[in-house]
Amino acid sequence: MEPRQITVIQASAVLVSTIIGVGVLALPLFAVRAADSGGPLVTFLAVLLAFVGLALITWLGIRFPDQTIIRYSEVIIGRWLAWIGSMLIILFFAVLTSLTAREFGEVVVTSVLKSTPVEVTVIVMLLLAAISTRHGITTFAHIHTFYVPFLLIPVLVIVALSLKNAEAINLLPIWGNEQGGMLKGTLTVAALFQGAFILTAVIPAMKHPEKAMKASFWGMVIAGGLYIVIVAATISVFGSEEIKQLLWPTLELAKATTLPANILERLDAAFLAVWVTAVFTTLFSSYFFTIYAMSHLFRLREHKLFSYFILPFVFVMAMLPQNIIQMYEIIESVGRIGLIITTGYPGLLLIVSILRKKRGNRVADKKVDQID
Amino acid sequence: MLDKHKGEKISTQIESTIAFINGILGMNEDLTIRRFHVFGQYQAVIMYYSNMVNQSTVNVDIVKALMYVPPHLIGRSIEIKQLTDVLMNDALYHSESRLESELTVLVDSLLRGETVVTVEGLDHSLIINTRNIDKRSIEQPATEQVIRGPREGFIEPLGTNISLIRYRLQSPDLRIETMEIGRRTKSKVAVCYMEGITNPELVKEVNNRLSKIDTDTVMDSGYLEQFIEDNHYSPFPQVQYTERPDKVVANLAEGRVSILVDGSPLALVVPTVFNQFYQTVEDYTERFVLMSSIRLARLIALIFSLVFPAIYVSIISYNPELIPTEFAVAVAGGRAGVPFPAVVEVIIIEISMEVLREATIRLPQQVGGALSIVGVLVIGQAAVAAGFASPITVVIIALTTIGSFATPAYNAALALRLLRFPLIILAGIFGLYGVMIGLILIANHLLSLKSFGVPYLSPLIPVDFQGLKDLLIRGPLWLMNKRPAFLKPVDETKVSETMFDELEKTSTNVLDPLNDKNQ
Repeated sequence: MEPRQITVIQASAVLVSTIIGVGVLALPLFAVRAADSGGPLVTFLAVLLAFVGLALITWLGIRFPDQTIIRYSEVIIGRWLAWIGSMLIILFFAVLTSLTAREFGEVVVTSVLKSTPVEVTVIVMLLLAAISTRHGITTFAHIHTFYVPFLLIPVLVIVALSLKNAEAINLLPIWGNEQGGMLKGTLTVAALFQGAFILTAVIPAMKHPEKAMKASFWGMVIAGGLYIVIVAATISVFGSEEIKQLLWPTLELAKATTLPANILERLDAAFLAVWVTAVFTTLFSSYFFTIYAMSHLFRLREHKLFSYFILPFVFVMAMLPQNIIQMYEIIESVGRIGLIITTGYPGLLLIVSILRKKRGNRVADKKVDQID
Repeated sequence: MLDKHKGEKISTQIESTIAFINGILGMNEDLTIRRFHVFGQYQAVIMYYSNMVNQSTVNVDIVKALMYVPPHLIGRSIEIKQLTDVLMNDALYHSESRLESELTVLVDSLLRGETVVTVEGLDHSLIINTRNIDKRSIEQPATEQVIRGPREGFIEPLGTNISLIRYRLQSPDLRIETMEIGRRTKSKVAVCYMEGITNPELVKEVNNRLSKIDTDTVMDSGYLEQFIEDNHYSPFPQVQYTERPDKVVANLAEGRVSILVDGSPLALVVPTVFNQFYQTVEDYTERFVLMSSIRLARLIALIFSLVFPAIYVSIISYNPELIPTEFAVAVAGGRAGVPFPAVVEVIIIEISMEVLREATIRLPQQVGGALSIVGVLVIGQAAVAAGFASPITVVIIALTTIGSFATPAYNAALALRLLRFPLIILAGIFGLYGVMIGLILIANHLLSLKSFGVPYLSPLIPVDFQGLKDLLIRGPLWLMNKRPAFLKPVDETKVSETMFDELEKTSTNVLDPLNDKNQ
């Protein structure tokens, strides 16, 4: 095993770059469908909900600071029940990986590489993720930390530049016109934060696992804040009715923006190119988590072996949806099932572990890198 | 051949020693074996390679000194039992001499350029270091020139190079350990570090890696680099080389280890992180505001040399809508007669540029300058006129090539030059999307790379806030008061923290007109 050397900054960077992904492109659409101009509010509620889920995971992680969820679930609810739970988690993340790859593949094929088959863009993204998962968890954290600025800066630039077309009136009333769909919408948007589950694999490699709550707080504030900003900017520029006609409103926002002095006439292709990094980090996390959890479930020393092994399965799953419409239906329903797996299951584990008074070992005397 | 004689002792008969040496080295024209009499009474023989020694030293300090009885001993009889003692302590005029009794050691010493004196009746031989190899003078380093900074570069002999380091670093903490690597060449390798600064584990690991090397020849420090680097298949260099003694000293003082090889004017410095490849000596000798901006320019050139042609290809072939319409029309007009797709055109021009560059290095100096002008200007112009390439392509490739020369480290520039080609091909297939895929692969590779355990992109990733002061810009010297944390030095402090405030506080404007007492 590697020495524990992931810092709090790196852990929150992992969270931020995992959460911010391809979902951002369709995010304003989900939010607006639920509550019209109440989109930012829905997103905010979703952030709160997602934070509750993340807090549960973090709390569990702090209770068992030297094990991943695969291992400590066995301690808490027994080997066989835990095995079922772990299998569900692994399966869910494999599906999440394939859906992310497919969704971005569709985006690329629809907006830039119009004559390229979607299979090619999907397999390229999956290969990129698979190659990168062959390193340890420390390199995993380093990779995420490196890419964080590349995710935040382009979005913030586009949001800032779009402000000149923004109308504050589009954001009113802030609670929306119909409150009926709000709950459903909150769940849909909260499902976009499921990548945060990766923290269960990161905590056992953290230098100070007891500070994990700080990492998850900041990760959620930055990623959630960005989500709210994007939704607010998109709604204020387009208005909620127009957004309902757009498939990827964030991409349209980039299209509607120009840089001052006409350096680049349109930003959507450039934005999409930069967005490859954001999608990569999300895909990388879910792919990595899938094989990392598998190696822990089968008690293998290395996860490398699975890197290419699960590639064909993920690829086939990615190709199953017939078209974009069906794909988004699947994404929404998988997202809701995912909420049970990534929030309900850890919640259950936490309650049982408190009731049965189970705890992991303290790690204060473990091998830790001194300087970092 | 020597191995089977290992451990054999010198006999007291000089004839058998001479026969042994003759048997092994005798067929060589340049081996001198001369008999003479020590103090006019004992048979003796002196042996050396005539072209490797300083003749006058051998004649005056050894042969003459041994032939005559030392003046203060004239009249006294010298017994064979006292002879060794008298030779060493009274007769010989040379400080670097020692006694040896093994035959194989005699052969090794001769090969190294030392002189061997054997006397009848003694079971020891005198070995005197008379080595004198012709060397070139110390010149300006050809590949690392500076405007402001020392002008000395390493030359081939290890001794001279060590002296260049020692006179810049007159500290008792400087440690130089030597070993021999190479079964045939027996090259002397020196490992330099600072006791009390460099992490002892690092020194141990460097010695460990070096001692494992079992090869027959070591011609240059570059041979060693290829054995001790961490990832042998990466295009990126994980060991820095330099021909500047001041650079080596600066690295030693930061807590790195330097490796020098006899016969190589290039010292290795380990561990190496990526940011060292775009830092220069001048960054530190010139004032920080100016050099920070120049370093930024250098960084831009570095990124340019990697991605510029790839971005050009993808914009032209896939996303012409990105650039302003008037310019897009001009570019399309320039490309009107070109028969190939942009990616083929760029690759052809890139390859011709690489050929020209390689040819210019190999050409004799007298024609080199002329030919490079003919090559670049005339061929470029003609290619455009012939409709073979568009003018903008030539501009892009020229900028890229110049950009790659702005990177101070030749080997790092080489890596980026090489990686440019797969990026261009990816751009041709997938456009900007492909370029990003390529860049992500490169970045992930860099992030996974390590040099002696130090992550390659330190201090950027993992973040070290002290180190960030010397990453994109070069912070003021007084603010960079810690040694790089990723080297885990024993002593972290470089500049005393209170020094600068003290300096500011106590400085006075002595010549301010207000203070003039005569007015």
